[in-house]
Amino acid sequence: MSISMALFSPPISSSLQNPNLIPKISSSLLFSTKRFSLVSVTRASSDNGTTSPVSATVSEVPKPTSVAVKEAPVKSPAESSSASENGAVAAAETDSTTTTVIKFENTKWVNGTWDLKQFEKDGKTDWDSVIVSEAKRRKWLEDNPETTTNDEPVLFDTSIIPWWAWMKRYHLPEAELLNGRAAMIGFFMAYFVDSLTGVGLVDQMGNFFCKTLLFVSVAGVLFIRKNEDLDKLKDLFDETTLYDKQWQAAWKEPDSTTGSSKK
Amino acid sequence: MATVTLKSFTGLRQSSTEQTNFVSHVPSSLSLPQRRSSLRVTAARSTPKLSNRKLRVAVIGGGPAGGAAAETLAQGGIETVLIERKMDNCKPCGGAIPLCMVGEFNLPLDIIDRRVTKMKMISPSNIAVDIGRTLKEHEYIGMVRREVLDAYLRERAEKSGATVINGLFLKMDHPENWDSPYTLHYTEYDGKTGSTGTKKTMEVDAVIGADGANSRVAKSIDAGDYDYAIAFQERIRIPDDKMTYYEDLAEMYVGDDVSPDFYGWVFPKCDHVAVGTGTVTHKGDIKKFQLATRNRAKDKILGGKIIRVEAHPIPEHPRPRRLSKRVALVGDAAGYVTKCSGEGIYFAAKSGRMCAEAIVEGSQNGKKMIDEGDLRKYLEKWDKTYLPTYRVLDVLQKVFYRSNPAREAFVEMCADEYVQKMTFDSYLYKRVAPGSPLEDIKLAVNTIGSLVRANALRREIEKLNV
Repeated sequence: MSISMALFSPPISSSLQNPNLIPKISSSLLFSTKRFSLVSVTRASSDNGTTSPVSATVSEVPKPTSVAVKEAPVKSPAESSSASENGAVAAAETDSTTTTVIKFENTKWVNGTWDLKQFEKDGKTDWDSVIVSEAKRRKWLEDNPETTTNDEPVLFDTSIIPWWAWMKRYHLPEAELLNGRAAMIGFFMAYFVDSLTGVGLVDQMGNFFCKTLLFVSVAGVLFIRKNEDLDKLKDLFDETTLYDKQWQAAWKEPDSTTGSSKK
Repeated sequence: MATVTLKSFTGLRQSSTEQTNFVSHVPSSLSLPQRRSSLRVTAARSTPKLSNRKLRVAVIGGGPAGGAAAETLAQGGIETVLIERKMDNCKPCGGAIPLCMVGEFNLPLDIIDRRVTKMKMISPSNIAVDIGRTLKEHEYIGMVRREVLDAYLRERAEKSGATVINGLFLKMDHPENWDSPYTLHYTEYDGKTGSTGTKKTMEVDAVIGADGANSRVAKSIDAGDYDYAIAFQERIRIPDDKMTYYEDLAEMYVGDDVSPDFYGWVFPKCDHVAVGTGTVTHKGDIKKFQLATRNRAKDKILGGKIIRVEAHPIPEHPRPRRLSKRVALVGDAAGYVTKCSGEGIYFAAKSGRMCAEAIVEGSQNGKKMIDEGDLRKYLEKWDKTYLPTYRVLDVLQKVFYRSNPAREAFVEMCADEYVQKMTFDSYLYKRVAPGSPLEDIKLAVNTIGSLVRANALRREIEKLNV
């Protein structure tokens, strides 16, 4: 990443004076050129005016080469570098008033939706890569909000990705983790209770207190997965009751709630 | 019974000076002063008749709430005064009224500038969903100009017998006894531009505070504060060809860039569009959010000229106290704006009317003095009728405006026909319709599915960040 940063900086400053540098950079396969032309375009536009014809041509350049660039191993350094670039781009965008339109472009994104035929692997659609591509598109848009146009409406609906693809990718790994935790907790709790009270596993299941303990530990494993979850759950509970309390305040005595703005 | 005023005041707030004037019906175990948390309100049937005059009520504020209240009061035979500080006030406002308001308030159809029958919801990743397919021929959301609507309601109040005064309410003196009048201090403008007006006072028996989000009436009764959102709006005149797109279509943009806890909008008005956004938690960044909203709509408002910039506060929840003795708050002053959609015009007008009806009933058409119990009836009726609506919208806001994945799920859900039907039914007619249980279950499953997918995508995005 530091290498890519170093390689980025000279072109940025020189592109202000030398538009000829841009075609040379776009041919380099180390960077996703689409991202790159974006940086130079923004810098150019913040220079105000003189380089706008250049930026128009630049946006044409990356498209034919972008197909070659879309290799998975090449992508990860490109993505990480573009992540930092996107931050800079977004900042530059908001304060320059004459930005050229920088849009999300991808050969697989056709007519406002993902062209599933391009995601085929061994004759079947590779849903994982569809999910990853959509995530990248959303990330791109979060960092560079785009205008919506009526000419190219976005029509993608995540429900075309079948439910088992989501399960395989997200639910199953986490389920494995949680089941593992529950099993370990269960084993040690059973051993612990047995060593303290002498009640074996089968007899524990007949005891109300032990069943309650089991319920609490299962709920704990399910709901408290990270350290932050404890506070989040408490906040959630407060949130659910806050609005009602605000409405009921009119029916309470005045000394209890005056100007309480807890939000 | 005629001379000694006997009232059951169980649980109502009273100042200690009033204790000497009457005997309360409370059991002896609860002797004065009473501070109860549970309220059992009984009507004060035993208030004396006003011998030689009608009940006098002042309505402070001449917006939809004030206009509706004054009209109902005047029609009920009560001597009504409406005090409004700016007769041609062009309020910064979305200007959307539901269909039921036209019927319930007998609004003439020429007040409505536009009938919006289509809406577009746009997610953070620019997925656009059209809603409005389920609307029938006669259903629409009316877009009005606030100055036109407010003036119409005030005129109608005047025709029914209310006196409309152009003045600014300053403060009010609370009465010493339970039947002494309130003394209002206000500045009356006599119509000459630039004049500072003359200070005047007026004595009235009851006051309805309809003076909006920064209500002075609320301050004078120590009603307490509320959290509020800042809504920022720019009116933009766009070229005609772009205006045809917005002929009967309004847009809603959701996303962290547009607002962290609300939405950005493009609403068509009479001959221009209003582009705006709002927020509660990040008020300082409102200009940034406005720029982002304009950016998202850029293609569609290109070439437009900003003709006006305006901002206003929107209450997020009711004030802790919505009435005190014979002063009641209605509309924005009380904080009756829904969450999620930020709708306030209909609720303001309806609450004004409901409060006025309670006064008319409690005073038996102006013949008797009223007391806090009568006004409490208005609060009860209001809470009973509309609290479910407010609660549902609050839940929707909490679930779907939390984060970008939640907003994506929200927009995905809006594509569903059942959702559209339920949403429009509840918005246009203000009833939380039950719907069919099977569809509800399907809807619940789909909602959970959308939320799960959107959150899964967010986890993927976070993985990319690393």
